[in-house]
Amino acid sequence: MNTPTPPSPGKHSGVGAFFCRWTWAMAWRDARSQHKRFALYTLSVAIGIGALVAIHCLKASVHSAIGAQSKLLLGADLMLSSRRPLDEETIRSLAPKTRAIAAETAFSSMIGPVTGTRTRLVQVRAIRGGFPFRASVETVPPGLWSRLDEQPGMLVEAALLADLGVQVGDRLKLGAIELPVLGTVLKGVPRSSRFSGLTPEVFMREADLAATGLQGARSLVFYHRFLELNARNEAARLEITEEIRKRFAGNAVQIQTPESRRETLAEGLDKAAEFLGICALSALMLGGIGVAGAMHTHIRSRIQSLAILLCLGCSTPLAFGIYGIQTLVLAGTGALLGALGGVLTHALLVTLLAHQLPLSVAALPEAGVVFGAMTGGFLLCCGFGILPLLRISQCSPLATLSERLPEGRRSYTATGILALSLFALVWLVASLNGSRPTRALALSGGISLVFGCLAITALSLMRGARLVLRPAWPYLFRQGVSNLFRPHNQTLLFVLSLGLGVFLLLTTWFSKSLLLQKLQIDDQSITPSVILMDVQPDQTDLVRSIVAAQGLRPLEEAPIVTMRIESVRGVPVSALEPAAEEGGSAQGARVPRGSPKSIPRWVLEREYRSTYRNTVHTTETVLAGSWPPPALPTDGPIPISVEERFSQDLRLGVGDELVFDVQGIPMRCAVSCIRRVDWRKLNLNFIIVFPAGVLEQAPHSHLVSLRLPEGKTSGELQRSLLEAAPNVSAVDLSSLLATVSDVLQKAARVVELMAGFTLAAGLPILLGALWNGRDQRVRESALLRTLGASEKQIRAILVYEYATLGLIAGIAGTVLALGARFALAQWVFHSTQAPEFAPLVYSLTLPTLAALLAGLALSRGVCRQSPLLVLRQGR
Amino acid sequence: MHQIVAMAEHAPAPRPSPVLQVSDLAKSYTDGARTLTVLSQVELSVFPGETCAITGPSGSGKTTLLGLCAGLDEPSAGSVTLDGHPLESLSQNQRAALRGRSVGFVFQNFQLIPTLTALENVLVPLELQGQTDGRSDAQTLLDKVGLGGRGSHYPHQLSGGEQQRVALARAFVRPPKILFADEPTGNLDAETSERLVDMLFALNRENGTALVLVTHDPSLAARAGRIIRMHSGRIVSDTGSSLV
Repeated sequence: MNTPTPPSPGKHSGVGAFFCRWTWAMAWRDARSQHKRFALYTLSVAIGIGALVAIHCLKASVHSAIGAQSKLLLGADLMLSSRRPLDEETIRSLAPKTRAIAAETAFSSMIGPVTGTRTRLVQVRAIRGGFPFRASVETVPPGLWSRLDEQPGMLVEAALLADLGVQVGDRLKLGAIELPVLGTVLKGVPRSSRFSGLTPEVFMREADLAATGLQGARSLVFYHRFLELNARNEAARLEITEEIRKRFAGNAVQIQTPESRRETLAEGLDKAAEFLGICALSALMLGGIGVAGAMHTHIRSRIQSLAILLCLGCSTPLAFGIYGIQTLVLAGTGALLGALGGVLTHALLVTLLAHQLPLSVAALPEAGVVFGAMTGGFLLCCGFGILPLLRISQCSPLATLSERLPEGRRSYTATGILALSLFALVWLVASLNGSRPTRALALSGGISLVFGCLAITALSLMRGARLVLRPAWPYLFRQGVSNLFRPHNQTLLFVLSLGLGVFLLLTTWFSKSLLLQKLQIDDQSITPSVILMDVQPDQTDLVRSIVAAQGLRPLEEAPIVTMRIESVRGVPVSALEPAAEEGGSAQGARVPRGSPKSIPRWVLEREYRSTYRNTVHTTETVLAGSWPPPALPTDGPIPISVEERFSQDLRLGVGDELVFDVQGIPMRCAVSCIRRVDWRKLNLNFIIVFPAGVLEQAPHSHLVSLRLPEGKTSGELQRSLLEAAPNVSAVDLSSLLATVSDVLQKAARVVELMAGFTLAAGLPILLGALWNGRDQRVRESALLRTLGASEKQIRAILVYEYATLGLIAGIAGTVLALGARFALAQWVFHSTQAPEFAPLVYSLTLPTLAALLAGLALSRGVCRQSPLLVLRQGR
Repeated sequence: MHQIVAMAEHAPAPRPSPVLQVSDLAKSYTDGARTLTVLSQVELSVFPGETCAITGPSGSGKTTLLGLCAGLDEPSAGSVTLDGHPLESLSQNQRAALRGRSVGFVFQNFQLIPTLTALENVLVPLELQGQTDGRSDAQTLLDKVGLGGRGSHYPHQLSGGEQQRVALARAFVRPPKILFADEPTGNLDAETSERLVDMLFALNRENGTALVLVTHDPSLAARAGRIIRMHSGRIVSDTGSSLV
């Protein structure tokens, strides 16, 4: 007998199955009875992808806005900044290359109304020239900014008027003069200092500055020059910028360009976006797990149908195609809806924040960014969805003949390859976040680790529940708890979705709490709450008497001498080669010859505010060498004590030499002591300490720290100082930290919102998991009722089951969050405080309640259905 | 020449090729160190149009034999040739294609796809073969089994007898060369069973399909032209092919 040609499995094998009309028709027929469940999982995907799209679009839009408006943000083509007055001769020599030059002198000072007791520390910005060149400043009444040069007076922030209890037209005392408030500034003045924002800003014309008598008596004055360059095009602008940069090299003048400001802003933005991206990625992974969970449950319920199809001649690729198409449609619809939601969220946020942003951001995001984030999310969800489809390859047509079949062999190779591909996809999506590849790898690894830990915790708890359950326990409770580990349970999916939400929210809360703890002034009597700055040597007795008159006693006093590094181990700072910029940072670095590692530029170029004393402070620990030095050398380098990080940055050891430029006089020094400083203590800490007997004759000012008694404010002290020593600034650390704390609280709210996004993405999965289990519950309840169980007993079983599920998810999330808190407290915040009790109570009770309510709501009809109908349908 | 013609006239009719041929078939399962043999040394041939009932006590290997004959499972030893194709040389997907082309099934539990309507269930074999205009054929078959008006109903909306009739329509919508029926009346009452068996044999005759029937029911087995009795995984009696 001739063997006929082997039958062909058909043209629709492999990928071809996805292009076959029949598979699409079957996918539709199979899904039409499940549309509510599919809609729920689509929603989960949509929320995850929506979060991803919104964050990426916001980041891209702000990046674009920064790119397009960086000149507005700087207000000029070039900004020169120095802590010393800029050489006017050099500035004048720039005239041929510029169209306009404006000037600003900025410093902190106390201000207060002529009559009244309120005072406030402000940032004074005395301006000359037409700054800003490319931005219009909005004032009330309008047009005041352009006339600021013409009349004496101040423009202030509206909040300051309320703080001081004054109105436009009232006079404020600043140093030795009184100036009227001309109006308020709404927006549009580019920031010149990184400290802007911590204190209210006051604008005045430079012509009145000398009359205040403050300028010469301040230790921290910034001198800025804003240049509008005489350049026809971008190339010429960059050329002139480079020329000016060379001219000021080594002069301790910082140069900012629109590009460098853009980089600084973008760097901060990237860090914020990366952090928010973690939440978005978690939400997306939850969406992916939602798809995997949905397909897993769906395919499990379709094994019999699959076996029938295989019996009727359907090939495995065709069967795979049916459910593959469903996964594609689910993820695709979720991606489209998510992209739409993300675009709308972006538009809403941009509109809501329009008045708070220093630049105008387009409400419509860039199409490419939307498409990229949507595609990344879609691919990730498809990847997750394929995992359960592997089960189709294990399905045997023999299942039509016998329900008692041995388990098909699981292909560990295929599962392994798919798991690795999934990890690669997560990495790819993490890279979309703008992270560097290694950072994206760490991020993907971290998130996978959290998912893995949650899964292990869930499995351990299921196993634990099985082990602790005793036959002697009440039947209803046993039945409810045993639902957690019996076949077809939803425990793992439930714990992953709810547990991850609990973990993220609790970890965010703990991080915020640890950070805010650091910003609180502790109760120790040696911790200062007010610092008096710029006390001149001839004012120390006066200030002491003012302090004493308030019933206060200075905690510490320290002289301050400003200086810069001239050379390190014989290598002049100007001879150090600039290193490649790291991570796009504007803060470049320089490398000494032969140095294996870069030195941050700011370490070399900054102005150091050093002190002199022969003691070691209680907040300091000597790590190497000794302090004070036994004796001052008559002819040799001056022994100095340096802070640990400073010594690490410059790779200094005991005995290494440095030369400091102490206000024009070079001073040869040698490291005699390296000490660790506890910067978290708000005492008067310094990087460089000189021994007594060296710097006493150098121009210097004093710092004085005080501690206010409980309930006493610094207002009265500030008022007395403003009257008697107007150049002295009283920095109220409590109110300063309150401002920082307020900013952090706002940032924390954004992070919590994102963590909430994750929880929101998890909710549909949670409901889906409950829904998946509902059919099983309905069948069991029908059986139990047939056997005589009352409705009350069935409800009790459900209550036990759902409450335990919620509790297990809560425990899993809480345990992981406590682990994360321990790591944060140990290695980031160095805190020894125990975690708060209240959030732990919430993290355990709220998921339990949520699971219980959701479970009972979904099980409403369980007891109402006819047992006969249920048993017949389940046949 | 005349001699040759005379010889041809007196020669026996040529024996048709069997649609199913089973040689030395065995199936065993390994559970740890223990091996459980559920089928051994089975020899069997079924010819086109033949009706064959496999009977025997529970656990005698009837359903296992049926599964192996239909290519639903892999034998431990021996060979199965179905419609001229040795199954051991075919891949899973080639076997599925062969089933779609030449084999029909009727199961004890009806095995309709619950998410498809009755008409859609009948249509599946046609659609799997790429036939897009099979709706009227499927409807005709449904009419023939008396369910013309129930085409839009889902399986759970039909009684057991109605579901089995839909299964019958599905099995014959693309006339198979061989039909495997596993306890087709096992879940039905006597009266419904009677009507269904009549339909089954009628369709079998109409289409010239070979019928392999696994049953516990002696009266159903008696309607088959050939009865094979099994015990402990072996064929203990075979009344022989009715067509030979």
